Amino acid sequence: MQPITLRGRAIVEGHCKAEALVSTKPISFLGGVDPADGKVSEKNHDLCGECIKDKVLCFPHGHGSTVGSYVLYSLAKKKLAPNAIVNQKADPVVVVGAIIADIPMIDQIDIKQIKTGDLVEVDAYNGFVKILKRKES
Amino acid sequence: MYLTKEEEHIYDGEFGWANQICMKILVRLGELFNATRLIPINSAHVSGVSYKTLGDAPSDFLEGLANADAKVKVKATLNPQSFDREYLYKKLPPDLCQKQSDIMTYFEKMGFTESLTCTPYYLENPKRGSHLAWAESSAVVYTNSVIGAWTNREGGPSALAAAIIGKTPDYGMHKAENRQPKALVKLEKQLQSEVEFGALGIFLGKILEDKILIIQDLQNASEDNLKQLGAALASTGMVNMFCRENRGVKFNEIEKINVETKDIKQTIENLTTTSTQEPDLVFVGCPHCSLNEIKQVAELIGSRKVKDGTEFWVCTSRHIKEKARKYVEKIEKSGGHVLTDTCAVVTWTDKLGIKTIMTNSAKTAHYAPTLNKAETILAPLKECLKTAFKG
Repeated sequence: MQPITLRGRAIVEGHCKAEALVSTKPISFLGGVDPADGKVSEKNHDLCGECIKDKVLCFPHGHGSTVGSYVLYSLAKKKLAPNAIVNQKADPVVVVGAIIADIPMIDQIDIKQIKTGDLVEVDAYNGFVKILKRKES
Repeated sequence: MYLTKEEEHIYDGEFGWANQICMKILVRLGELFNATRLIPINSAHVSGVSYKTLGDAPSDFLEGLANADAKVKVKATLNPQSFDREYLYKKLPPDLCQKQSDIMTYFEKMGFTESLTCTPYYLENPKRGSHLAWAESSAVVYTNSVIGAWTNREGGPSALAAAIIGKTPDYGMHKAENRQPKALVKLEKQLQSEVEFGALGIFLGKILEDKILIIQDLQNASEDNLKQLGAALASTGMVNMFCRENRGVKFNEIEKINVETKDIKQTIENLTTTSTQEPDLVFVGCPHCSLNEIKQVAELIGSRKVKDGTEFWVCTSRHIKEKARKYVEKIEKSGGHVLTDTCAVVTWTDKLGIKTIMTNSAKTAHYAPTLNKAETILAPLKECLKTAFKG
C-alpha cells in the first residue's frame, strides 16, 4: 500500500515505528492504567485489558488527576511505556507525562484514520504520523 | 514562545537534567495555551504530596529530580501529607508511613518548605496582584478571589516545575482580560452558615464549567465562609475565581443564574449519604482551619468532653496551631485532636476503622464517599460539636 501521511503538531521530539493501539475514549493514567503491568485497567474502557507497552498509543486526549503524568514516568522506568503517543488534542496531564517520561508525542492528528494493529511511523521531530501497513484482516 | 537567552540555555540542558525537564514542562504547557513568554512568580504551592492519593508512581520522578540536584528558586510550599507526626503516625501501618516519609525526604532535599497545608495563604499572605503558580484548587480560588493574587490552577507536576524554575507561562488567570466575570449569580436569600456557603459552591461548580462568576450580596461574608465557598466550587467545577464586587461589568451582557433556597437545601441533603446520627469521626478543618475557626471551636465546646468511641479532629497547619496554643490546649483536654500536616481526606481513614464522617466542609462531604469510602453527614459546626461531645 501507499503510506498515508497524517500531519499534526510535534509536542515531544522523537521517532519510532511500531504497532498502533487505538482508543476512541480519553484515558486517565491515574487509576486507568496499571503501573505494575502497563495494562489499561479502567472498566468499560474500549482498551480495558490491553497492554500499552511498546505501542503507538492513539487516543483523543487525557483526563483526570495530574498525578497521571507521574504514572507515565513510572511506566517508562519499568519499560512498560508506549513507544509514542498520538492525540487528537493534547492536554496538560499527558503532555507533562510524555515530557518527563521522554515519550515522543504528536497531537492534532485525526486518529480515526488509524486502526489498532496498523504499522505506523511517528516522526515527532517534524510532526507527522505515517500509516505504513494496514493490519491484515 | 519567546525565551530569554538564559531560559534557552536551561532548555538546552546547560544547567542539568532537572532544570531542563522542568523548563520543558513550562514551555510545552505555555505553547499548549498560547503563552508567548514565561513570567517570574513570587511563590509556588505544590499538590500531590500525600502518599495515599499519589501511590507509588511519583516517588521515582521526585527521587530523580532530588538526586539531580533540583532546587526551588522561589518560596515553595507543600500540600498536606497522609499523617501527622503525633497522632496518626502511631496508628497507621508503618510501611505506608515509610513511603510517605521517603516522598518528604525528596521534597525537603529540593528546598520545599515543610508547610504541609492546603492553606499556604495563612503562612504568608501573597501580595495583591502578584503572580503565583499554585496547585491545590481551594487555595487557587481563595487567592484569586479573596486575596487578589494571580494564579492558574496548576497540577502537581506543573507547580513543581514552576517552583524549580521560578517562573510560569503567561496565560489564563495571569492576564487581566481573563479575570472578568462571565456569569452573575443572584441568591434568593442571604447565606447563613459555612455549610450553606459550601453548598452554593458545589451547586455552582456543576453548572458553571470554568466561567468566572460574580455573586451578589457577598460583601459581608466572612473570609472563612468564602474559603468554604471556593473550596466547594473547585471540587465540582473548573472555576478558578469568583468576584464579590462589580468591576465595571455590564450585567445585562452576561449570563444570569438564580439560586433558590431550595437548591441550597437540596445540595446539603445530597451531601449527607446516611441516616445514622452516630459518626465514627467528626472532622473540621477542610480546608485547614484559620486561627479564628480554631478559636470558635474552643469557645463553643465549653467544658464538654468528646463522646467515647467518637473521634474528633480539628485539622490545621503547624503555623496556625502554634499561634492557637491556648485554644489547642482546650480542645485536646476535651478529648479532641488538633492535627497538623494532614486531613481526613488525605489520610487512610478506612484503615482506622472509620466508616462515617461528619463534617462542616462541603468539599470533604463531596470527596469522602470516593476517596475515603465513607458515608458522610454534612452539618454546621454547632451541630458537629453537638454530635461529637457529651451533654
